Amino acid sequence: MATVTLTNICKRYEGPSSQLAVDNVNLDIADGEFMVLLGPSGCGKSTTLRMIAGLESISSGALSIGGTQMNNIPAKDRDIAMVFQSYALYPHMSVAENLAFGLRRRNFPGAEIDRRVKSVAGTLGLEPLLARKPHALSGGQRQRVALGRAMVREPVVFLFDEPLSNLDAALRVNTRNELIRQHHRLRSTMVYVTHDQIEAMTMGTRICVMNGGKVAQVGKPLDVYWQPADTFVARFLGSPPMNLFPATLVSDAAGYRAQNEALATPLGLWDQQTLARASAGPITVGVRAEDLHLNREAFGTSSLGKVSGRTVAVEPLGAETLLLIETPAGECTARLPRSISVQPDENIDLFFSADAAYLFEGATGKAIFNDKPRALYPGQGLAQ
Amino acid sequence: MSPPSMMGPRDRGAVQMPRLLGRAALAAVILAYTVYTIGPFLWLATMSVRTTEEISRDHYAWPKTFHWEQFHQAWVGSNFATYFWNSALVVVAAVMVVTLVGAAAAHALARYRFRGNRLVYAVLFSSIVFPPQITLISLYQILVGYNLYNSLFGLTLVYISLQLPLTVYLLEGFFSRIPQDLFDAAKIDGYGDIEIFFRIVLPIGMPAISTALILNFIQLWNEFLFAVVLITDPEKRTLPIGIRSFMGENFQDIGMIAAGVMISVVPVILAYIFFSEKLIRGMTAGAVK
Repeated sequence: MATVTLTNICKRYEGPSSQLAVDNVNLDIADGEFMVLLGPSGCGKSTTLRMIAGLESISSGALSIGGTQMNNIPAKDRDIAMVFQSYALYPHMSVAENLAFGLRRRNFPGAEIDRRVKSVAGTLGLEPLLARKPHALSGGQRQRVALGRAMVREPVVFLFDEPLSNLDAALRVNTRNELIRQHHRLRSTMVYVTHDQIEAMTMGTRICVMNGGKVAQVGKPLDVYWQPADTFVARFLGSPPMNLFPATLVSDAAGYRAQNEALATPLGLWDQQTLARASAGPITVGVRAEDLHLNREAFGTSSLGKVSGRTVAVEPLGAETLLLIETPAGECTARLPRSISVQPDENIDLFFSADAAYLFEGATGKAIFNDKPRALYPGQGLAQ
Repeated sequence: MSPPSMMGPRDRGAVQMPRLLGRAALAAVILAYTVYTIGPFLWLATMSVRTTEEISRDHYAWPKTFHWEQFHQAWVGSNFATYFWNSALVVVAAVMVVTLVGAAAAHALARYRFRGNRLVYAVLFSSIVFPPQITLISLYQILVGYNLYNSLFGLTLVYISLQLPLTVYLLEGFFSRIPQDLFDAAKIDGYGDIEIFFRIVLPIGMPAISTALILNFIQLWNEFLFAVVLITDPEKRTLPIGIRSFMGENFQDIGMIAAGVMISVVPVILAYIFFSEKLIRGMTAGAVK
């Protein structure tokens, strides 16, 4: 069990492009925490994980595990275990040999190796497979062997590099739950890389969203979802992604409103001073797809925002219906009940509570955090 | 149950006819090739148990009496045992060194990024492209210079240098396809670079290594040119030169030559039987999805 601390970590690959693959990452991972590194391909999340593992050198910055500086300690001496996307099982060894390979190198007595292999095989249901070679296993079984190989070592930190991406959808859900169970049982520090927001939301104690080699935001999954730090995080978390509209702030007797040619909304969550500062430049208004509704009556008397446009596509998904509309300010997706009766190519208005609106600076995309709590999300504090 | 077919029996026949013809043509080609390759070997086998006199009377006749004593005579009387052990010593030593050094070099070229990696590779590759005969004179001079001329050790060194480039080239291609994740996993499991080479690369690379072993063994076992130039002492001759010594200027003891060649073929067949199973079996199946 250990903490993992990354201080100003940078990774620069040698070669003509001197761009940083990982750019000044600072991250404190607490003991026993399940930290998810989330981001699109090429955002530096896997490189960061490989630097923690000791498989990539650290160009600058400091990495410590359990309070010990690890920059120049080789991977084998870091007491970490890693589960790879490809599983990376040794093809010429049986499952039992795969599990025991790391323990043998560390000169554990034979009886202890047997005990640990049996115990992990029992936990993961691998006992009937111990004599098989990896090529005789299914994808899900290989995945469990890879997990078992990490568990048998009883390391201080577990590292996962997209371990579920090669599994089919049903197996992925099962294995996800299995991993969550194992984390509750082992209480070890785990660092988990994924591009799948559902994995991140369901598994992470906290998630660290990365973009372009930088940390975009770190926080508890729902905090990051409710209070995205910028437009990238707002769109990356949530399916369909948050709708964003360039707009301007206008003030009248009733206070500030955000508006453009397709949208208008009062802004009840922000103080007048905050809005006055923001009104100097362009802004972006964000509304999540699930906060858009067809009927204004549903909201009672609360103040409403409105988006107007023409329907482009109606996608019934069974449990719900996705409605894609085109507005002069850009496309917009709404997640509506399954029972709606809207035809394509129809002019419609969609309504949302003013409490559901997000504001971002137009130029930088950074969030303009609300000053009053969102009533829509009970129990949620204000952003820092 | 198979789904009911929409085709009548005549239609099906019409579809299957070209397929049958195709198979027959393929079988004919394979048969012709088999006869082409096995034929001379069988002819040689029959000649090895006939006397030269019988052979000159009728080249292709089936042996009336089997003169097995020709093998004994070749082995004991004609110094074949010496040639055989000379060959075995030189070829086994050379193949072992070539395999181990070649595999290590191939692993380094395939796995480690270092300055000059591709340059080394290009130099090795260029030495495969040129015919080996062009190195004959310089190798001769080097061996004379180092007092290794007319010695089995010198010939072994030459054989190693001849076969190493192709071996590295062959193995590099295979090793570079072993997924990097396996090396990373072994590193995290606590293994160093040399242990990873012996415990991961060599076992996984066995199909390619077996291929290289067989190729090198056959090539060197049959090698004639360098052996005849670099060895003069009759006691140090290898098999191919030994067989050559049966060919006099006016008389050729065909029966003895055939028996000698049959003896020399045995190790090649054994090597092939022993390693071909590993050659065929792909061991990387299931390493990664």
